[in-house]
Amino acid sequence: MPTFVHTDKCDGCKGGEVTACMYICPHNLMKLDTERMKAFNQEPEQCWECQCCVKACPKQAIEVRSFQDWVPMGGAVIPLRTDNAIMWTIKFRDGEVKRFKFPVRTTAVGSIDPYGNKPEPGDLDGPNFFTEQGALPTL
Amino acid sequence: MVHADLMGIIRDDLVFDVGRHVDGTVYLFEEWGLPIWKDKESEGVPLAEGGKPVRSGRWQIMINGEGYKPIVAEAAKAVLGMENIFERVFIVKLLLDSNNSNQIAGAVGFSVREDKIYVFKAKTILLAAGGAVNVFRPRSTGEGMGRVWYPVWNAGSTYAMAAEVGAELTMMENRFVPTRFKDGYGPVGAWFLLFKSKATNGFGEDYVTKNAAMLADFAPYDKAAVVPTCLRNHAMLKEMKEGRGPIYMDTPSAMAKLAETMTPKEVKHLEAEAWEDFLDMCIGQAGVWAGLNIRPEQSKSELMPTEPYLLGSHSGCCGIWVSGPEDMSSPAEWKWGYNRMTTVKGLFTAGDGVGASGHKFSSGSYAEGRIAGKSMVKFVRDHKDFQPALKGDLGEISEQIYKPVRTYLEHKDKTTAEDVNPHYILPRMFQQRLQKIMDEYVAGVATYYQTNGTLLGEGLKYLTMLKEDSAHLRAKDLHELLRAWENYHRLWTAELHLRHIMFREETRYPGFYYRADYPDLDEDNWHCFVNSRYDPETEKWDVFKRDWSALVDHGH
Repeated sequence: MPTFVHTDKCDGCKGGEVTACMYICPHNLMKLDTERMKAFNQEPEQCWECQCCVKACPKQAIEVRSFQDWVPMGGAVIPLRTDNAIMWTIKFRDGEVKRFKFPVRTTAVGSIDPYGNKPEPGDLDGPNFFTEQGALPTL
Repeated sequence: MVHADLMGIIRDDLVFDVGRHVDGTVYLFEEWGLPIWKDKESEGVPLAEGGKPVRSGRWQIMINGEGYKPIVAEAAKAVLGMENIFERVFIVKLLLDSNNSNQIAGAVGFSVREDKIYVFKAKTILLAAGGAVNVFRPRSTGEGMGRVWYPVWNAGSTYAMAAEVGAELTMMENRFVPTRFKDGYGPVGAWFLLFKSKATNGFGEDYVTKNAAMLADFAPYDKAAVVPTCLRNHAMLKEMKEGRGPIYMDTPSAMAKLAETMTPKEVKHLEAEAWEDFLDMCIGQAGVWAGLNIRPEQSKSELMPTEPYLLGSHSGCCGIWVSGPEDMSSPAEWKWGYNRMTTVKGLFTAGDGVGASGHKFSSGSYAEGRIAGKSMVKFVRDHKDFQPALKGDLGEISEQIYKPVRTYLEHKDKTTAEDVNPHYILPRMFQQRLQKIMDEYVAGVATYYQTNGTLLGEGLKYLTMLKEDSAHLRAKDLHELLRAWENYHRLWTAELHLRHIMFREETRYPGFYYRADYPDLDEDNWHCFVNSRYDPETEKWDVFKRDWSALVDHGH
């Protein structure tokens, strides 16, 4: 299920060393064509369709077109993600459009403090994590 | 439950250990910002303060998962510091210590962004690189080959790199064949458990109930509170083989039934939940539905058993043999060292890496990472004087890593089309050959998951030739070099899987794979772990049994 990049929308992340899509793709698929300054999927048949690049693209230049060895043409699934919510647009082959909105997180991005308000480190030799108090069950 | 689903062979100590730590870990996720659904009476109350989650199963709760990975990654980044995180580095192999045999000392890999080799020295290492995907030929034939079930970047590196340094592996014969929405691999769990949907054959019959007598051949596991995943597959495959497909998930009936007692607003919400199930976890399935004009409230959807996957955290339990928690009454040979340490000193693992303890999923794997992390700190404290010294010549190792690039440069101009060249093999072709061997000889979809000793012998012959040909892999750029080494890891994982299946002379997991020459469950001879070790000195394999024992009453 490969991603594709709209030529007119992609600006190659304005000549940055690494584009947003290159930065985020877990399978190393997105690549910048440095002559045209446009990103593209260098290995479409390896795309997992996680849509990480679609969500991360600052220009909303990337979409997914379903794999044509099975899926008929015309459908689309398009995310619009902010820090706190995601809006999905589902376009059916027959033209119907549905929209769904879901929460992303309940805290501000960058606010996580893993050691904040937590106990001091405890016994390194026991089975408890430092966040766990009292005796743990055992077998 | 974990015991029965995995047909009776698990390490109770490891499973229980995950169980006692997982809730506290999920509390952290919620604190960091993960939205967790609560029942009506405790809306807004955190789990840690007694909030009751909406359950979709005995060990599944409902979340809004869109932010899950960024949330846990943000916490990790805050603790580690960006200066200690190396991105876009693919680790090719682990390195042993030159002064202490069987002790880990480092790892080596390469950047996929620049011409740079990375060499890490370490007193201890956590090896956690997921399971193995695309070892078998997938059902997809073209562009969809990457749209597999488990993440496609799981290349079996965990198992391959552990085996190469001589770690003992366990239950590598085990595999997972998930039954999923056809072609998009959309999850079925919420449909079965939360929406109470029924799956039927092409004639509307409930195939698990219908084939209950057949499942009794695999007693006592057929009588488990939840019929084991492989047995449900076993019943479904009978229907498919006898021509009573397709297998349907009856989503319209389930949604209509739920809607009977709902307001229109609640019905709308139900529809959104049905879609979110895919949009959070498997967007591709939403694309398949959109392209096929499938609306779950109107049309039934087909289900299909997929190609096999190797993993240790879901409904599968292959992996590395590890030392367990010290505070349990387990046999001495289950706790010889530090918790979650492999048989290679200083090398730890978690998640898909830990064998014989499935059903950890994501939060359990995370909890297991915390267990291993704590043990590793302890290991470092106890080995203050150990100075890792890398075994092997780093110049030679670097040459070996870049060899596919040299091969390409040396030979590329000898033919007019560089992809067809007798001097090298493309990583893509290497993967397809591996997948064909595994599919046809090692019980993939081509044979309805059946194999036998003769087929396995043939398969090993072809796999050995493929291993020889791995010396001729080519890489025209760093991206292809990544694929070359990923597929080398897949090859090792495949060989482990084949050798274990060959050794276990019974059919323990019908519906996942069948030894057609040993079609029965053989509790007398095979209720045991199958472990293996590759000796890096002699390059010989040893596959052997290890005793199983119960720490809790499993009722048999």
